[in-house]
Order: sequence, then C-alpha cells, then structure tokens
Amino acid sequence: MASESAEATDVVSTRRRVVGWLSGSLWSVVLGSVAVVVAGGLIQVSFGAYSMTIPQAWGAVFDTDVIFNPQAWEAFLLGSEMPDMETRSLIVWNIRLPRVVVAALVGMNLAVSGAIFQAVTRNELASPFILGVSSGAGLTILLVLVVFAGATLSIPYYFGTMFLEISSLLPVFAAIGGIVAFLIVYAIAWKNGTSPVRLVLAGVIVGTVFNSLQTGLFFFADDIGVVQSAIAWTTGSLTGVDWEEVRTVLPWTVVALGLAVVSARQLNVLLLGERTASSLGMNVEKVRFALSAVAVLAAAASIAVAGIVGFVGLIVPHMVRNVVGSDYRRLVVGCLFAGPALMVAADVGARLGMSVLFGSDGQMPVGIVTGLIGGPYFLYLMRKQERMGEI
Amino acid sequence: MTDDANARSDGGLGGMVEREDSSESEPPADGEGSAGDDETDAERAATASEFEGEDLVIGYPTGDGPVVDGESIRVAPGEVTALVGPNGSGKSTLLKGLADQLSLTAGTVRLDGRDVHAMDTKELARKLGLLSQENVSPDSITVEKLVAHGRYPHRGFFDPLTDEDRAAIDRAIDLAGVDHLRDREVGQLSGGQKQLVWIAMVLAQDTDVLLLDEPTTFLDLHHQLEVMEIVETLRDEGDITIVVVLHDIDQAARYADRMVALEDGSVYASGPPEEVVTEDLLADVFEVEASVGKAEWGPDIRPERPLHDDSAAE
Repeated sequence: MASESAEATDVVSTRRRVVGWLSGSLWSVVLGSVAVVVAGGLIQVSFGAYSMTIPQAWGAVFDTDVIFNPQAWEAFLLGSEMPDMETRSLIVWNIRLPRVVVAALVGMNLAVSGAIFQAVTRNELASPFILGVSSGAGLTILLVLVVFAGATLSIPYYFGTMFLEISSLLPVFAAIGGIVAFLIVYAIAWKNGTSPVRLVLAGVIVGTVFNSLQTGLFFFADDIGVVQSAIAWTTGSLTGVDWEEVRTVLPWTVVALGLAVVSARQLNVLLLGERTASSLGMNVEKVRFALSAVAVLAAAASIAVAGIVGFVGLIVPHMVRNVVGSDYRRLVVGCLFAGPALMVAADVGARLGMSVLFGSDGQMPVGIVTGLIGGPYFLYLMRKQERMGEI
Repeated sequence: MTDDANARSDGGLGGMVEREDSSESEPPADGEGSAGDDETDAERAATASEFEGEDLVIGYPTGDGPVVDGESIRVAPGEVTALVGPNGSGKSTLLKGLADQLSLTAGTVRLDGRDVHAMDTKELARKLGLLSQENVSPDSITVEKLVAHGRYPHRGFFDPLTDEDRAAIDRAIDLAGVDHLRDREVGQLSGGQKQLVWIAMVLAQDTDVLLLDEPTTFLDLHHQLEVMEIVETLRDEGDITIVVVLHDIDQAARYADRMVALEDGSVYASGPPEEVVTEDLLADVFEVEASVGKAEWGPDIRPERPLHDDSAAE
C-alpha cells in the first residue's frame, strides 16, 4: 500500500493537516476576538473630552487621508513630525487610537507570556508574573517614585552630558527590575539544574520579599500623588498612552511573540514532562531558560508601557485552551487574539466606566477592570467545564 | 549475593562471544544455533547496534551513595535483554544511566563504540529511545500528534514534518497496533491503550537501541501481552537492540533472549533465561521459594511462598 497510493494521499493529507491546524475552534477564537477588539476600539474612539458624534468619530477612523498617508504612519511608528490633518482625525488618530493599539499589544504580550509560563512550569496557576517579574518591577517602581524621586541621571554623551530625570525612565526601570527579579529567581532555583516546582517556589520567595519591601516603601511616600501614581503603575494603567508607547513596546512584542510562535513545538514537547522531553533529545534546561526569557521579555515589554496588569496572563491562556485544546501551535495563536480582546474590552471599562457609572471624569487603572471582567468569565467557564484548568 | 555459581559481574560476556562470531554467516531466522530458544540470526547482529555499559556507578544527586555500584552490562546487538530484580534493586536506575538521563558517577556507556555522555542530546535520541515508567501528556492531544513528537530528535528547530517523518509515524502506529485510535484524544484512552500509544511514540523515534522501563506494569493481561508482542515483533525484525525492565520474571524468561538479574544494585546473574532463572536465584534475589520446571518456551516458574530473612539464609 506504500508507494503509488502515497503520492495521491499526500495531497489529501497535506490539506487535512492545514485545515486541521486552522481548526474551526481556532477560527472562532480569532474572529470572536477580532470582533471584540474592533467593537472596543470603535467605542474608545467615539467618546472623550473632545465631543464629536459617533459617525464623525468613525469617519475619522476611516479617514483615507490618514490611512493612506505614509507620512502619518511615519509619525506614528517612527516618531517623526506629524503631518497636518483635520482636528477630528488628529484627536482620534493621535490620542484615542494609540491607546487601543497599546492595549492590544499589552494583551498579546501578557497572554502569550502566561501561556509560555504555564507550559514551562507545567502549572496551571502560572502567570507572566509567577517567576517574580511583577514584584521586581513593582519594587523598582516604588524605588524610583519614592526614593529616587527628582534624582537625575547624567549620561556622558557625544556632545557633553545628557541629564535625564530618573522618573522619566520609570518604564525602562520597571522592565529591568522585572528581568532582574527573574534572574534572581532562576539563580535561587538552580541546583544541578532546576525543576518546575523549584522555580515556582523560588518565585514565591522572591515575590514575598520584594512585595514586603514594596509595601514598606509606601510608608515613605509623603505625597498622595506619588501613592496614586505608584498604585496606577503597580495595578496597570493605560491612561495617557500615546504612539510613543506603541513605539516602545512594538519591537519587543514582535521579537518575543515571533519567538513564541516558532517555539510552539518545543512547548508541546515540554508538556510531555521533563523526562520524556529529555529522552527525545531536548536539552530541557536550555530550552526552559530560553522560553522563560522570551516570556519575561514579553511581560517586561508590557510592564514598560502599562505597568503590572494582572490576571490577563493567567486567564486568557485558559480561555483559549478551553476552546482550541492544549496544542501550543494553536494556543499561542489564539492568545495573540484573545489577549487583545480582553485587554481592549477592559480598557473601555477603565476609561469610560467611571463616567458612565458615576458621571465623573476619572479613570480607573485597567488592571482593576481586567480582574472585574475576567474573573466572572473565568468563573463561568470553570463552572461550565469540568476539565477547566488542566494544561 | 553469596552465590557464585552463576556468571556475574563480567556483565555476561561469556556466551555472547560465540554469537558475535557466528554473525558472519548469512541465513537468518532458521535458528542456526543449537542452544534452545537462544537463536541469534546473523542479520540482526550485523545491522543492530552494539550497546554496553562499563563499570557503571550511578546514583541520584540527592540520595546517599550510589544505587548501582560498579557494574558492567553488555547488550548483544539485535537481542532482547531483560533486566529483572525486586523493587529497589536498581533496574530503573541502571536503565536511566544507560540512557544518559542520570549522570554517571563513574564508568562509561558506549553505543557502537561511542561514549553516549559525550554525544549531543539530539544525536543520542536518534539512536537511543527510552520509554519511562510513567508518562504524562495533555489530555486533549490526539494519538497521532503524540506519536509525531517521537520525531523530535530528527527535526531541526524550524523543520516541518517531512515525508520520511510521516512514514516513520505511520509505521510506528502500525507496529504498535493503535491505528484505530489515531484520531482519538489520549485523555480518553484506557491505561493499556495509552501505553501502546507511548510505545508508538518511542518507535517513531526510529532508534537502534530501545530501552523500556517496566512497560507492562499496571497493565491488564491483554495489554501486557500486546506490549510483549510488539517487543517480539521488533526482535524478529531484527535491527533494533532492546533492553527492557520487567517486573514479571516469568514474562522476562519467556520473551527475552538474555536476562540480567539485579540485586541491590549489582548484577547477580546474567545469561540466557534458562541459565539465569534458577530456584537459587529466586530464593536469593526475589526471596521466594519456587520451583523451576522446563517448558517449551523456557523455564517455567511456579512461585510457592515468600521466604523470610531467617529462612532465606542457608
């Protein structure tokens, strides 16, 4: 039955494989998520301090003068001079839309990062912050805002010295703090190699110590403004983000998520357990560290623009897994879409919720809303599905 | 351990030498040898890999002292070698050491003359497959996809499945007799079916040497026999060298070409089943009183009662 029929069945089997990979369930995740992102985005651009009608706002989104203007894109993505455009287009494109874009990018990063950590630690409770990233970032945020507030950093530069206020570098420091904490966790867990349990325990230890230090630092904050700003950073907020944040996060996102997509098969093999992975010839320690580093990079990128947004990285992988199964080639792709969906929807609530509910102008940190939206949905899934939570 | 009647600690080199010499002659299958069911066909030995461990000292990083202490084992190419011994005798440890899954405190493991610990992990995994005692997988993975993971060592980071990979997967699924389960999710299978699927996965690895760690433990009788039938088929195909840890000495005696009996981390006896399985061995190593008869398939073991320490000493 081998040779002749092989060629004929080959075409069929190739088609079956492609169709199988892009299974109906993945399509439903992708399309559903895109719909949520688009709807959330349209709501976000329609409301704000500068009042315009919904048709006006949507007209501005689809303003061909902007969409097909390379100069405008250059301004958005590379930070060059903004070309002249209508006021409405300017408001929508320059103030309201970037926030949606940042939310989507942050959602992707967190969801994929969480998915990776769940495989690497083989722990269904893993999130991007399980290996100490959030506590490291949080501690640095507090240090910068409280201890080094007003301090300047002098960087010897080509034409003299560049002075930078440290607080303007807060996002960078937050990301670096997260990465350093991750390295500390790894160093603590390492003893002739690591194991998922050792890593998680080390993450808990480092997290506890850093969180205590962080909470302790709140006592030294003498200004309510500093405290609020610290809370905004440590719960995650998208208030005031701009194309500049898009420019900050985009390159890292592309690198980290690109690596995540191509590493999906390694993640699948890791799910078979260390012993099997190793007997299949995988260098488990190396792969585990590399994948963790990719996940930490994605988490750090999101921290740099939005602070520590909780919950997204924990629940989105579960939501997607619930629909597409635990094959990481599908799961990672699903997370690329479902993460933005949750994040954009939550940000609608964060930005507009206060004015709808209380008629006030204030905005909530988005991290609060992700919990409020994600928690009940997660609960619903958990009650509905028996196998929920299994990796 | 005090019984020196059986060949020991030479890793059973005796009795093997002639077999290798005779491997020059051509005709297979017809049982050119004379020594009972201990037939070795020439082709097997010619194409299969040579696999040996020398002066192995193996222990766990956390444990005190080595579990296997200074033992040598040599596995004849193309044959089925069974490691037997009571719980805690070091069978699995020895197997893990042989498979480079535990680092050796001392000694070397050679595959076709090359030190396996010096080999690249993927290169080794193309030549040597190991099926662990317990395996975990996501419940929602399909049988076919799980088996496909067996091709891991043959694929580069970006390589898609090639035709060769797919052929190997089909062959492995076929050999393990799980074709009817192909599209089922592993989580829905029974323990016995799962084990067959895992065996298919290591078969897809397409290695010269296959190490199986208690593949029949916890299975019902039907699946135990299914597993041993696969081992038998592989042996008859002849280009693969198999080392299998078996809990059931009866099964080992029946299916293995050679047996290695371990006690407290040392080789108590090794050789063809009819030489290894004796009443003395059952008393000394397994602490049971048993009678060993002779059946057409080899030694016939009838366990009678457990021996307690005081009565075991004679």
